[in-house]
Amino acid sequence: MSNQLRAWLIATPATLLVTIFLVLPVLATFATTFGDPEGPFATYSAFFNSRFRTTVLWRTMEVALVTTMISVAIGFVTAWVVARTPSRLKSLLIIAAVFPLLTGVVVRSFAWLVILGKNGVLNSFLLSIGVISEPLSMLYTQGSVIVAMVYLFVPLMILTLVGVLEGIPQDLTDAAASLGAPPAAAFRQVVLPMAVPGLIVGSVLVFTGSFTSYATPQLLGGERQMMMGTFLYQRAMVTFDWVGASTIAAVMVVVTLATVLTMSRVARKLNPMAG
Amino acid sequence: MKNRIHPALIVITVLTFLFLLGPLVVIIGSALSDTSYLTFPPQGLTLHWFTNIFEVSAFTRTMGTSFMLAIGGTTVSMLIGIPAAYALARYRVELPAFLGNVFVLPILIPEIVLGFSLMKSLASGFGLPIIVALLIGHALIVLPYTVRVVGASLNSFDFSIEEAAVSLGCTRIKAFFVVVLPNIRAGIIAGFILAFITSLNDVSISIFLTGPGVSTLPIQLLAHMEQFFDPTIASASVLLMGVTVAVMAVVERTLGLTFLTK
Amino acid sequence: MTQSLTLENISAHYGSTQVLEDLSLHIAEGELVSLLGSSGCGKTTTLRLVAGFLEPTAGTIHLGDRDLTRLPAHARDIGLVFQTYALFPHLTVRDNVGFGLKQRKISSAERKKRVDTMIERVGLNDLADRHPANLSGGQRQRVALARALVIDPPLLMFDEPLSNLDAKLRVDMRVEIRRLQQANGTTALYVTHDQEEAFSISDRVAIMKGGRIMQLDTPEVLYSQPSSAFVANFVGFDNMVEMEVVSDTGDMVQAQMSGGSLIDLPKSRFKVPSKKFLFAARPEGLSVTTEESSIGIPTTLGMRTYIGRAYQYHCETEAGTLLANGPQATPRPLGQVAKLVPQPDQCCLLPIES
Repeated sequence: MSNQLRAWLIATPATLLVTIFLVLPVLATFATTFGDPEGPFATYSAFFNSRFRTTVLWRTMEVALVTTMISVAIGFVTAWVVARTPSRLKSLLIIAAVFPLLTGVVVRSFAWLVILGKNGVLNSFLLSIGVISEPLSMLYTQGSVIVAMVYLFVPLMILTLVGVLEGIPQDLTDAAASLGAPPAAAFRQVVLPMAVPGLIVGSVLVFTGSFTSYATPQLLGGERQMMMGTFLYQRAMVTFDWVGASTIAAVMVVVTLATVLTMSRVARKLNPMAG
Repeated sequence: MKNRIHPALIVITVLTFLFLLGPLVVIIGSALSDTSYLTFPPQGLTLHWFTNIFEVSAFTRTMGTSFMLAIGGTTVSMLIGIPAAYALARYRVELPAFLGNVFVLPILIPEIVLGFSLMKSLASGFGLPIIVALLIGHALIVLPYTVRVVGASLNSFDFSIEEAAVSLGCTRIKAFFVVVLPNIRAGIIAGFILAFITSLNDVSISIFLTGPGVSTLPIQLLAHMEQFFDPTIASASVLLMGVTVAVMAVVERTLGLTFLTK
Repeated sequence: MTQSLTLENISAHYGSTQVLEDLSLHIAEGELVSLLGSSGCGKTTTLRLVAGFLEPTAGTIHLGDRDLTRLPAHARDIGLVFQTYALFPHLTVRDNVGFGLKQRKISSAERKKRVDTMIERVGLNDLADRHPANLSGGQRQRVALARALVIDPPLLMFDEPLSNLDAKLRVDMRVEIRRLQQANGTTALYVTHDQEEAFSISDRVAIMKGGRIMQLDTPEVLYSQPSSAFVANFVGFDNMVEMEVVSDTGDMVQAQMSGGSLIDLPKSRFKVPSKKFLFAARPEGLSVTTEESSIGIPTTLGMRTYIGRAYQYHCETEAGTLLANGPQATPRPLGQVAKLVPQPDQCCLLPIES
């Protein structure tokens, strides 16, 4: 038996699983969006001509973008400190970041329900110290969704960036110092450019993750802050508009893939190791 | 020796970790509260809400389903994912480069889209029993983890060891079981654990593939939350956190947690 | 403008372990001094202290009359070549070389001129716009060298700069390093574990052990007159035999080996340091003879190996196994009874350390 044949045989079951149960069903979903009697792109023009649907799309983009930016800011600082922490404390910090990551989305979103609710932890606290006299309604706002999303994705960002920052050899910052670069200059001219590809990878993970999330906007955004994920579910399972749902699905896939492909190209271009 | 970090950065880091762990403390606290509504800090301590989980049949049933799905889905994806990872690592030249990306598709395609498509094609289109569709869905979404994590340990595996076994008279298949598998054990355990926890916590696939009589714990929690707001959910969340702790303990003992930053 | 480097009474600790103990060292202007020793001897720690990556727990470091001891690394103005080269992977060869000048706020026109000149001097003209990932080991080494030299530092330091190169290139590069160092007349501190490398390019060599300098001298003196058993062993005196003076007859000293045999040492050739002493000899310092009359260590020849320029014999003596070389013309059989005659210029006598 040739090696090539052997290789294919071994890889076949997994390839089949993905092809039959992912590629074909997703293609089938796309196919239904082009079957409109008024023309192949009628569902899409309906989508982009609907004020409500485009609002949902832009809102989702906005939430995902803001979430990504906050996560990058918090995650980068934290990862920088974690990466330079002595090893025993460092493993504790990593455990503290991994733990939420491995705890389910439902549980983590639920926590914010308890914290931000009308009778929630934050309101009771603010009332008790007299900052406010009436409980604020913080739930079902864009802010509550973003807070919970950041909570969801910051650990991922931290872990990605700790790996990246630890991969930058100490010798390089030493070399920068020996050539006369003060710490701030060494950071700007050596550490930051070398961390850029990692920052991009982390940002793509956070952006696509929040763009396609379901449970968090469902719990903390509700009907009022409909996002693409909850919108898709509502169309598919509440109003049973499968063509509409498929259109939403297609838009989500296009946005996700476009983001991943563009950004990985950018990352490759900025990769310090590439010629 | 000379490694000073700006104090402002340390403050931000401390705040970040408070932000990460605080909400979990809130859940644990409110699960212990002796009130019929969710509140924190807890008022009076009780374990009543923990026993309550096991008295509500919807919770025990879905908990059973979730664990069976997580074990079943992960096992299926391991059985086909390990050979796939092996093929990718061992026959780099013989297989096309894009094949590696095929196995990552389940992460690349938004889960909610995958869930919807599976519901449409499998459950609705082909009339597959919902539990089977769920199992397939879960096996699919964890496949990238098994292939990537097992693949990572195969990439550092020295295949000349396998050739040595063959030269000593082992058949190729036997060599795989006696020589390759034991040496990538850490990767297999890690892959299994990551896959298990991903499946156990999944919402986006399961939400489409639950129906009359079949549901998973996260979906049940989600439904329960929208109707009731009592500490039962908090205590169920604490139980799930307990599973996470157990999983992390296993990872720590087999691989060390720094594994997760790689 | 080159300057001298002075370390005075330096001590350093990693946590609670002491890695340098009261170390003092002076390197004159334009001189190249190597720190030589096996790993853990403190040579790299010394270099990192001078570079400013570590702080000493005691002592001072001066470059010329500038006190470096508490100065941050980036303000020290020292050209440093790393073992790993530490080239910035995201910058081209040109930008790597220009990095230090940029920190010194040199105008870009001036910078370009100096960078181009330096790149030419190390022979990398064609590769100036490449990234380090696309260079060979030797080329990277040249970039690292150019990057350290272009800032025209008063002191150059090398941290095992050649250990990642193959043997042939290592010899070429060390000649290159020496050439550039001497052309600029720059003071240099060179860290290595390779004796040949240290001896071939240094004005003086410091042999280090356990955080201390065991002996600091020119390669010639180190090679022929080691001051301790450790240094002797390090520079190739493989045979060590304890001896004790039994009689002194004017121009001859008679010494007894630990096994009991007596040996005569002419005073004109050997300087006996004390009553009890160590006799140290290179393998080529013991010649094998079967002449009855000759004075030497009695032996039975054991295994014979061929080492290119000679045969080497593992000789069984009452003081243990000694290594001795014999001429290629006369291979001797296993088990032959013979004598090992000391050749004074390849032997030395050392005090016994406690």
